[in-house]
Amino acid sequence: MSENIALMTQGLTKSYGKVRALRGVDLEVQRGEIFGFLGPNGAGKTTTIRCLLDLIRPDGGTVRVLGIDPQADPVEVRRRTGYLPGEMQLDPNMTVEGALRYFNALRGNKVDWGFVRQLAARLDLDLKPAIKNLSHGNKQKVGVVQALMHHPELLLLDEPTLGLDPLMQQEVLRLIIEAKANGATIFFSSHIMSEVEAVAERVAIIRKGIVVEVAEPVSLINRALHRARIRFKQPVDVSPLTNVPGVTVLSHDDGTSVLLQVEGEMDGLIKALAAFPVSDFETERPSLEEIFLAYYEGDQKEG
Amino acid sequence: MMTIFRYALRRLRGQILGWGIAFALLGVLLVSMYDTIAAQQEQIEDLLKFYPQEFTAFFGDFSAFGTAEGFLSIELLSYMPVILGIFAVLTGSGLLVSDEENGQLDLIMAYPVSRTALFLGRLLAFVVAAVAILAITWLGLVVPMNWSSMDIGWGTIWLPLLSALAVLLLFGALSLFLSMVLPSRRLAATTAGLLLVASFFITGLAKINQDLEPVARLSPLNYYQAQDAFQGLNGAWLAGLFGSAVLFAALAWWCFLRRDIRVGGEGGWRLPSLPFRRRAGAGRET
Repeated sequence: MSENIALMTQGLTKSYGKVRALRGVDLEVQRGEIFGFLGPNGAGKTTTIRCLLDLIRPDGGTVRVLGIDPQADPVEVRRRTGYLPGEMQLDPNMTVEGALRYFNALRGNKVDWGFVRQLAARLDLDLKPAIKNLSHGNKQKVGVVQALMHHPELLLLDEPTLGLDPLMQQEVLRLIIEAKANGATIFFSSHIMSEVEAVAERVAIIRKGIVVEVAEPVSLINRALHRARIRFKQPVDVSPLTNVPGVTVLSHDDGTSVLLQVEGEMDGLIKALAAFPVSDFETERPSLEEIFLAYYEGDQKEG
Repeated sequence: MMTIFRYALRRLRGQILGWGIAFALLGVLLVSMYDTIAAQQEQIEDLLKFYPQEFTAFFGDFSAFGTAEGFLSIELLSYMPVILGIFAVLTGSGLLVSDEENGQLDLIMAYPVSRTALFLGRLLAFVVAAVAILAITWLGLVVPMNWSSMDIGWGTIWLPLLSALAVLLLFGALSLFLSMVLPSRRLAATTAGLLLVASFFITGLAKINQDLEPVARLSPLNYYQAQDAFQGLNGAWLAGLFGSAVLFAALAWWCFLRRDIRVGGEGGWRLPSLPFRRRAGAGRET
């Protein structure tokens, strides 16, 4: 395994009784990369992350985290990793500071407490209150702080902005970007497309326990369907445009305007339009969310 | 491991103080009452003759009620392992699975702590808590002896408590093992609790019905020594109880090393599908 690979799974399978949660997950995350892991509830995101930390044992396949087999040396993997679980649960009888000091003790008291205070201040997190008095969002902030406080080489974040207000979501994304700038690899699951699009360099889309796509968000967007609205100086016959590969006419108003759907590159369409008296050309870029939903349309139809 | 131990012991401090002080106060009350009881020994013995044998069988030798050892045994030591057994069963069954069921274990296990260290740290906290409860109880017995005619050596009083400790550790370890193999902490605690109560009844009833003796030989409380311990502990019985505790703890450890850390009901037993039950796994976050 290359030293540049922070995380790798090959043919990862896991079942819970008759439920096949993972059906052969293949992933490869480079060191220093922010990698988004997308999928709806039940797709296998959390199960994959829990296999990486040896919290659960896969039925088959290979896992390497920072070059280590998590089943062979889970302590070393966890020492170099920061983890934020999808459902953050803490001892309700501890204070925020007490919980963080306990986590620090579990890491051998090696954490710089000044950095903890700095993280808490940035997230507007008070260290004094008891956990039982915290809102869901504030518990999530405790989770973010404990995951980042030891400057881990690898961050495994399961829905990191869950329950946070928009300002705090932005702050957490900034912390993720800063962690990457400091050399960390970030693997995070989400179903909030905007945040994935904002920070992830590559994304994997998981569907029914299988990774169906791994690509850069931009590439996914460029590869997807575009819409193009073209206005002409005078009424024209647009039928030659339907012969361009990947182009479908969605609507055609009185010959002076046409709405097209273009699959893939726009090059063929633009060349074909050279023969037309074009007055205006407008394209709509699909959001990552639309692309993501497209992967699941089949499911809904099947359902 | 010591961080895990300290944290687990701190979480048990309420139970240590609660159970320990309750039994210590009972001890103070009993030792303080002993002089009055001893002065009325003949009348009390006459009264006790009317108690049905089916009742007295559970509490020891009523003919020794007038002696300090017999009095303490009947009034406290005979049933103490059953009452403190509740602590052992609840604590043992929840030692790991309680945090697993409420989702906290998922995060703790993501820290650089091996499963063995986590297991041993918490198990050690349970052992120390059980010793602490019995030590507080012991204080409640020996301190008031300074103003009572009850004359049992401070060290001698430890003997039945040591036997009780072995029973507590056995039921704690059994509960821990059951929590590893059964689908929930509640089921593990219920099963271990039923075994504890069954053991108490079988041991008591076997004293009046010889047909039950073969069954009683399998009962842990059969090897618990209350009044008998004052004349010296049966080392084989004590070793058997401690050995069984170690065996169940080892089995629990073995299971814990090999199992998934569950969240949201993963990995439990699967009951046969019935028409009115929801399909297993439907809507579950994986």
